[in-house]
Amino acid sequence: MSNKKLINYGVIGYVIGSLLLINGFLMALPLGFSIYHEDGMTSSFLISSGITLFVGLCLRFFLRKFKEAEIKRREGFLIVTVSWVSMTLFGTLPYVISESIPNFSNAFFETMSGFSTTGASILNNIEEMPHSILFWRSMTQWIGGMGIIVLTIAVLPLLGIGGMELFVNEAPGPTKDKIHPRIKETAKRLWIIYLFLTLSEMIVLMFCGMSFFDAINHALTTTSTGGFSTKQTSIAHFNSPLIEAVIVIFMFIAGTNFTLIYFGFKGKINKLWRNDEFKWYLFAVIGFILLLTPAVYFDITNTTNTTNSFSLLESFRYVSFQVVSIITTTGYASGIFTDWGVFATFIFFLLLFTGASAGSTSGGMKIVRIVILIKNGFLEFKRRIHPNAIVPVHLNGKAIGNKIIYNLLAFVFLYLLMFVTGSIIMAALPGVDLLTAISAVATSLGNVGPGISTVDPSQSFEHLPDTGKWVLSFLMLFGRLELFTVAVLFSPYFWRVN
Amino acid sequence: MKIIITGAGDVGYHLAKMLSSELQDIYLIDEDESRLNYVQSHIDIFPILGDAKSFDVLSEAKVEVCDLLIAVTSSEETNLLVSIMAKKYGAKKTIARVSTLENLSPSRQKMFVDLGVDTIISPDVLAAEEIERLIKKSAFTDNIEFEGGKLTVFGIAIGDKSELKDKTVGESSYLNPNLSFKPIALHRNDGTIIVNGDTEILENDIVYFISTPESIDKITEFCGQKCFEIKNVMILGGNRVGEITARLFQDNYNVVIVDGDKKKCERLASNLSNTLILNIDGRDVETMKEEGLGDMDALISVTQNSETNIISSLVAKNHGVRKTIARVENIDYIRLSQNIGVDTLINKKIIAASNIFKHIRKGHVDAIANLHGVDAEIIEFTVKPNSKVTRKRIKELKFPKTANISGVIRGEESLIPFGNFQLQEGDKAVVFSLTESINQIERYFQ
Repeated sequence: MSNKKLINYGVIGYVIGSLLLINGFLMALPLGFSIYHEDGMTSSFLISSGITLFVGLCLRFFLRKFKEAEIKRREGFLIVTVSWVSMTLFGTLPYVISESIPNFSNAFFETMSGFSTTGASILNNIEEMPHSILFWRSMTQWIGGMGIIVLTIAVLPLLGIGGMELFVNEAPGPTKDKIHPRIKETAKRLWIIYLFLTLSEMIVLMFCGMSFFDAINHALTTTSTGGFSTKQTSIAHFNSPLIEAVIVIFMFIAGTNFTLIYFGFKGKINKLWRNDEFKWYLFAVIGFILLLTPAVYFDITNTTNTTNSFSLLESFRYVSFQVVSIITTTGYASGIFTDWGVFATFIFFLLLFTGASAGSTSGGMKIVRIVILIKNGFLEFKRRIHPNAIVPVHLNGKAIGNKIIYNLLAFVFLYLLMFVTGSIIMAALPGVDLLTAISAVATSLGNVGPGISTVDPSQSFEHLPDTGKWVLSFLMLFGRLELFTVAVLFSPYFWRVN
Repeated sequence: MKIIITGAGDVGYHLAKMLSSELQDIYLIDEDESRLNYVQSHIDIFPILGDAKSFDVLSEAKVEVCDLLIAVTSSEETNLLVSIMAKKYGAKKTIARVSTLENLSPSRQKMFVDLGVDTIISPDVLAAEEIERLIKKSAFTDNIEFEGGKLTVFGIAIGDKSELKDKTVGESSYLNPNLSFKPIALHRNDGTIIVNGDTEILENDIVYFISTPESIDKITEFCGQKCFEIKNVMILGGNRVGEITARLFQDNYNVVIVDGDKKKCERLASNLSNTLILNIDGRDVETMKEEGLGDMDALISVTQNSETNIISSLVAKNHGVRKTIARVENIDYIRLSQNIGVDTLINKKIIAASNIFKHIRKGHVDAIANLHGVDAEIIEFTVKPNSKVTRKRIKELKFPKTANISGVIRGEESLIPFGNFQLQEGDKAVVFSLTESINQIERYFQ
């Protein structure tokens, strides 16, 4: 056709302008805490928010003629990746301007860890941080949990048709279901559920004795399965079985497919029970809790050099919190699970990869992918015995096409490849031991948070070399956008016509 | 409004595109997964994979609360069955596309309404009617009348002697002292240009004008064309469109139908008393010449095969046939064939989609029509009291650039509005709009 350009950069700039506008507005929210607590951060937030809004407005104004332009496949991929990078860059402003995190590598790591809902932190003195900075830190996770593009589709009158292209690239999971014929309405409903969950958790946590500030921050980072806490020792700080129980429930819900939650809200509970992924998710959580509770109990009682020993009930309490926290990729800690014995540590390490349901705010590979591949693996035996049989994999009572299976295999392979490559780079860096290297990579790629060895729940990522922080930040983005969205940009096919 | 469309073929796709707006929730049912994926990535709809005849699929689309079901799969029986099922389930209104049922008498129509099919659309009949209009106005590539001819939108190719040639629209405004017409869009190479004062008109452009009845002949003259009388018509293709067209024509023209299939010809011969039926292959140029291709005033190619139709039209032009109409079902070919000289085209699917759209928007929209090769619609609105358009003059309205208010009918008077014009309640406005902006435009008139 007449337009031979492969990629329309104008429309990308325009959409990013819109995202920055929303980002700028959200950045102004911590001002409330800043003014109330008089923590001296008011001007930093005003400046950061001002800069972000200004850049957003400028992009939207100068590129306004691209408002109606069509967003095609290539633009879709670029918009999503570039917008995540740019909002992370702008998200560092409050940290850098207020000098609460003066080092840019640290600030970028912290922001990316926020937006990608990883929850790995470089802060060693969380309690000393100003309230507004902590709130912004939690906000980044909340924004990243459901995704800024989904939010933009919901509130701004743009991205009608192209919206689907973007939605598909940002939302997690191998298949994307709309819950309403219109993408805008779908996005709105998702955000309303999200907001509702967050507010209800906040209220329940306040009833359980948390302060308003702690409750809102933990609500923001639970429903986004992020895992930033306002306390250095995370949830362990509160040492309350009640609070842990509440958070476990909300983490579990946040790890459920939001489409199912939507149907749940509409009273169609049976849709939940008929969903294969939800069943596997539930059984996986229960199974791992039942497996690890006795393991941890016996391991800790048998090890003489541990100071703290658990009763069976305590083992159950700590294990169930930690299993849900890791499998949903939240990454809160109610204890230091790396002290619970080699077996438990290794299981937790494996759980860094799984993630919870597709279409939830969790990271990782997602249970549905693993379920399909396990089923496919089993059916391969049947195919060996009956070479001429047509043996499709069934999910939710429907056969799954080969195309999806190939896609899943490619996904899992790419995931593991990224894990291996990342681990090699990390292991090559000075002062990083093997367990730190592989667990930091797994936890970043899966958007979980804590790792093993020198990055276990009791420690921060601050001591890692700057290169390592950049590598991990990149992996977080990769994991959050489910590999392909970012990975295609590095393929030659993206940049040439055929 | 909640709309279910079954069949994601060209009609379904085109309809979904016209309807997708913030006001409509569209569920599209089709059995072809890759087709659904394609549609989903281009239009904001809810795709449902499956056979529309199945109860499960229909209830997944929540047929019980739907306002409208449009059945446009390729199978007539499926369409009727799905409409009936949907109606019994609770759909408020149903529209079915049919192929063999035509010219139903009112009592038979009522029978279908009783069964649950509210509206029956027959693209074959619609296409034949369109062909009739085009043959009557032989110089035009498209011809759409509004309010019984008070305003006409038509396309016309610019000849080499045209006064408009190589001038901008502004420069040739002296030709239009009474402001009785205006060019609204033009088609050049493979693109559509929405005309404004600075648009230059070149030879071979197809320019779409809106005009009051008095000025039509004048414009034809400016464009270097002449309406000529048509007497001898050859129809290539003895299928349903050909047959219905012949039936419409046979009493007023000398009609010849050409088809290579003996059985078809025999059937046609028994149905059409006043038409000459030739059993020859239309692609056989020598035989066609012997049968008097060169003496024809018009060739209407309506075979199933778009390529045959396009080539036959070119061959006929070469042999001195002045008017050729080609049925081009492959939408991608439309623009291309206009570029190589096949100026007048019909497309059953677009005609059907526009017609269905008119039925759906009854009350909001008085008429709608599509120009071939242009991804745009011409819509007639009645201006409602206090609607947005009545508040300001046209140039202050901030009307989308992809659309313009082309003509106005006020009472008995037809007017061509320019920037200073202000619409009033009760006016009928003819609006040219690219398909994607229709819903934006609708808001101005509500």
